[in-house]
Amino acid sequence: MVGYQGAEGLTSAVTTASIERPAERPAGPRSDPAVIRKRLAGFGLLAPALVLMFMMLALPVVALVLMSFWTQSGFELDRSISLENYRQLVAPSDETTWWYGIPFPLAYPVPAILMLKSLAMSLVATIAVIAVSYPMAYFMAFRVTRHKALWIILITIPFWTSYLLRVFSWKIVLGFNGAINSGLKAMGLIEEPLEFLLYNPTAVVITLAHAWVAFAILPIYVSLEKIDRNLLEAASDLGDSRLKRFFRITLPLSAPGTIAASLLVFIPTVGDYVTPALVGGPGGTMIGSLVQDLFLKQNNAPLGAAVSIVMMLIIAVLVLLFLWAIGYGKLRARRS
Amino acid sequence: MQRIKFIDRMSQGKVSRREMMKAATAFGVGTLVLPKVANAAEVLTCLEWGGYDSADYFQAYVDKYGAQPNFSIFAGEEDALAKVLAGFAADVMHPCNYSVARFVNAGVASELDTSRLSHWNDVFPALQSAEGVIWEGKTVMAPADWGNSSLAFRPDLMPAEFAEDPTWAIFYDEAYKGKVAMNDNEMAIIIGAMVGGMPYDEAYKLEGAALEAAAKEWGAKAVNVSRFLWNDSSEVQQAMASGEIVACYAWNDLVANLRAEGVPVTFAKPKEGMFTWFCGLTLLNTGKADEQAAYDFIDAWLSPETGKALIEGSGYGHANMKAFEISDPEAIANMGITDPVEMMKDTIVFKTPTDEVQEGFNKVWSDTKALKG
Repeated sequence: MVGYQGAEGLTSAVTTASIERPAERPAGPRSDPAVIRKRLAGFGLLAPALVLMFMMLALPVVALVLMSFWTQSGFELDRSISLENYRQLVAPSDETTWWYGIPFPLAYPVPAILMLKSLAMSLVATIAVIAVSYPMAYFMAFRVTRHKALWIILITIPFWTSYLLRVFSWKIVLGFNGAINSGLKAMGLIEEPLEFLLYNPTAVVITLAHAWVAFAILPIYVSLEKIDRNLLEAASDLGDSRLKRFFRITLPLSAPGTIAASLLVFIPTVGDYVTPALVGGPGGTMIGSLVQDLFLKQNNAPLGAAVSIVMMLIIAVLVLLFLWAIGYGKLRARRS
Repeated sequence: MQRIKFIDRMSQGKVSRREMMKAATAFGVGTLVLPKVANAAEVLTCLEWGGYDSADYFQAYVDKYGAQPNFSIFAGEEDALAKVLAGFAADVMHPCNYSVARFVNAGVASELDTSRLSHWNDVFPALQSAEGVIWEGKTVMAPADWGNSSLAFRPDLMPAEFAEDPTWAIFYDEAYKGKVAMNDNEMAIIIGAMVGGMPYDEAYKLEGAALEAAAKEWGAKAVNVSRFLWNDSSEVQQAMASGEIVACYAWNDLVANLRAEGVPVTFAKPKEGMFTWFCGLTLLNTGKADEQAAYDFIDAWLSPETGKALIEGSGYGHANMKAFEISDPEAIANMGITDPVEMMKDTIVFKTPTDEVQEGFNKVWSDTKALKG
């Protein structure tokens, strides 16, 4: 978690950093031993993380890429390099499969459909998360004056239990005899329990949104907290209404945190597997479920690897497009 | 001495929660930090169905080794097989007559030396020589439990006409949408084809275009109509008990457990047929534990005491003939599970598909579920 600092602390840190930076700019020649030593020391500090990343992330990804070029037939794994898995994912067919009015003229349309569905579900979950967490972060940054640390700790309370337990609790909340249904029944609002609450995409989106809210609040909170209060005062003095002030000052200045939060939620939720497995039912299946099924039920790890790689690439492209579309480069330039 | 004092205080309830947590933390950290040197023999690892990891079913093993083996729970044999093929080092697996061949063909099952099983001679002779226990001339599974797969329904929540002529067709009937639960298994397609008039002997080996067509017609309906596709039996038992669903694909344990809870439930004999399976223990060649431990575990499963626990607790039949002598006669009569031979004559015994057919079913069933709108 980002260390908590008071409003003054943060702003003053920002100002000192910006004052010091120009002094550092005219650095000595690259051959200066002191500079080199300083750089190496930096890498020394990075080393544990780098080694861990290399072993736990880079190597498995390389293995996954390699595996996606192998093929599986029955119990036999053919280790010769081939593009067969990727061909399967895009092979056209005369017979078109329709899914929600969208045509998929593919011989094996399931991965493409689930990818689209996962992206859509994650997008909805992300929007829900931002819609819920932005006001909360705003409240914490501007309205809470005392015990801020306590508020932050309160926000992290859901993380004190395992994710699995939280998903199961949602199953209990949304279930046939669950909290919502028994409550509504006790109040006499419904006769029969509502069945649309559980085992569908909506249940998955609700659960995901709840699970990721805390991840979104913190970055948004930090970026709101960093906003120079003088700017807001200046806007008011120059005649901006509160709403106008929000859209002209607060929202743009908190954009980096909001963007970071949306990516932080969107990227991991696309590939989520356990949530759809528990509350989704067959209708709530996502791409992660297919990867799991290919690896662990259909015994076709190479195809599962290919699906994962394609999904990773699609997410990467989408994120880059998103950042380009909102002009993230300009945002960064403005900040520094 | 410190340790003994701690245990004494603990048993007298004089240890505060804080002290307890401290001790637990210290232990947790200790086990993480200490290298595993004292572990002379590897612990037996078993791939089991959920619920079968209870010591009631292998008490003799626990008595001998002083501890339970390690369990990994699976929802279906294909999951377990994929796990083993991916490198999971299991010693013993619990397949069924129709699925054991997959393990043999994959080259992970070992032949059983029945002379090392003290209870082998008490096993029903019909089971000793049944297909699935014997595969390609070798004994590859020690039969332990047997029972039925059929349709269970709540007579209090279903129309009376249904009880007179139960049928699997409700799982494919829009009128029952959200009121029934099929098992998360390709049986949904096979039973659908049977509802459509195809005999089981043809339906279980559907392939290619015929399989695709059956999946589109029947599989999709089952996925759509089912409230959920169940993977573990407690999930479906709770849904049946609460009335969330009124009928489901079930094994005997659901009926036994719900009756024990006082929930009215009927284990139907649908007009398309009810199924019989028998399962058992297979020795895998992927394990690391001592082979004798694996044989002791299998032998414990074959004991009459295990059979008694199985019959009285879950309503399943057992392979050991002596188990029926020591079990509560009422429990046996209640479930109608006296003789596996009679049972098999009267019902449809699951058959072993070829590897190609099984793989086709795996893929088509997964696709059918994924395409639900």
